[in-house]
Amino acid sequence: MSAPCSPFPAGAFSRRTLLVAAAAGTAALAAGCTNGAAQDPADAVTPAQADRLAAQVGVQEQLVADYAQALAAAPQLATSAAVLAAQARQQLDRLRSAAAQPAPSSGATAGTSAADAVPADGAAAWLQARVNAAADAHARACPDFTGGRAALLGSIAAGLRAQAGQLA
Amino acid sequence: MPDGTSGTTAATGPDAAAPEDAALQEALAAAYTAIWGYGVVGAAVPAESRPAVVTAEQAHRDVRDELLELLSGRDVQPVAAEAAYDLPFPVLSGVDAAALAVTLEDGAATAWTWVLDQAAERSTRELAVVALTATELRAVVWRAQAGRTPVTSAFPGLPEV
Repeated sequence: MSAPCSPFPAGAFSRRTLLVAAAAGTAALAAGCTNGAAQDPADAVTPAQADRLAAQVGVQEQLVADYAQALAAAPQLATSAAVLAAQARQQLDRLRSAAAQPAPSSGATAGTSAADAVPADGAAAWLQARVNAAADAHARACPDFTGGRAALLGSIAAGLRAQAGQLA
Repeated sequence: MPDGTSGTTAATGPDAAAPEDAALQEALAAAYTAIWGYGVVGAAVPAESRPAVVTAEQAHRDVRDELLELLSGRDVQPVAAEAAYDLPFPVLSGVDAAALAVTLEDGAATAWTWVLDQAAERSTRELAVVALTATELRAVVWRAQAGRTPVTSAFPGLPEV
């Protein structure tokens, strides 16, 4: 009994079908998300979008601050959530690039008010609520944008929703 | 023989919706691929993981059906599924199967971020962000089973810069 050379003679699973969009779009997505409106005139940001994008930068700045607060208050989180905090910072950097906003000087990041202080007990749940709130905010804002900015906000929203699941 | 992009030419007319429709066709192709691929995953994962496979496959079937309806409603001929697909690597264990599931979900995530990039209609972007989030949530589970770290991604569907 002979076997066929390949049980799956058709299609181009790994690269063509799954990633053709990436092949066509990766450069545009990356550029659109890192260079603001410089790439495509049709994707130029409007003043209203610029304000909205600045608001999303603020949301992410607050989340990065929340991570710092939570990790400082609950050392056990420092191990499990450090990578999540790093990803949140990466997201902030890319959002700032898309918004053409420079990173603030040291110490000028958002803080957490005393009323929102991390509870001694339940830091993970507190942080999870913050991450979910940020994901909600980005997901709501995403459809207001077009092009690479919509892709970036949608991607960050999805990434944060997955982060929240890890904090459960 | 279709190559995974056939049928997209139906959406490349001069109208403004063409890029959006073409991106939706890619999302549909990714859904077809995932539905097929989860058949392979389901045959290789341990029994305790099979409910997750069934749930994931059904989610992609639901997305497929939604996209078929959406494209047909626009008088765009939807792309057809391939008869079969080449596996990107041999699936010989539960870990391989989980890795394949990650590939399937990451492929869908790439397609949906492209939809977000290309969509002219707000309703399409709303659909895309929901679908992208769902696929990333599934991917996290499979990355864990595949032994990948970290299990989360800062930018699902986007290239890391």
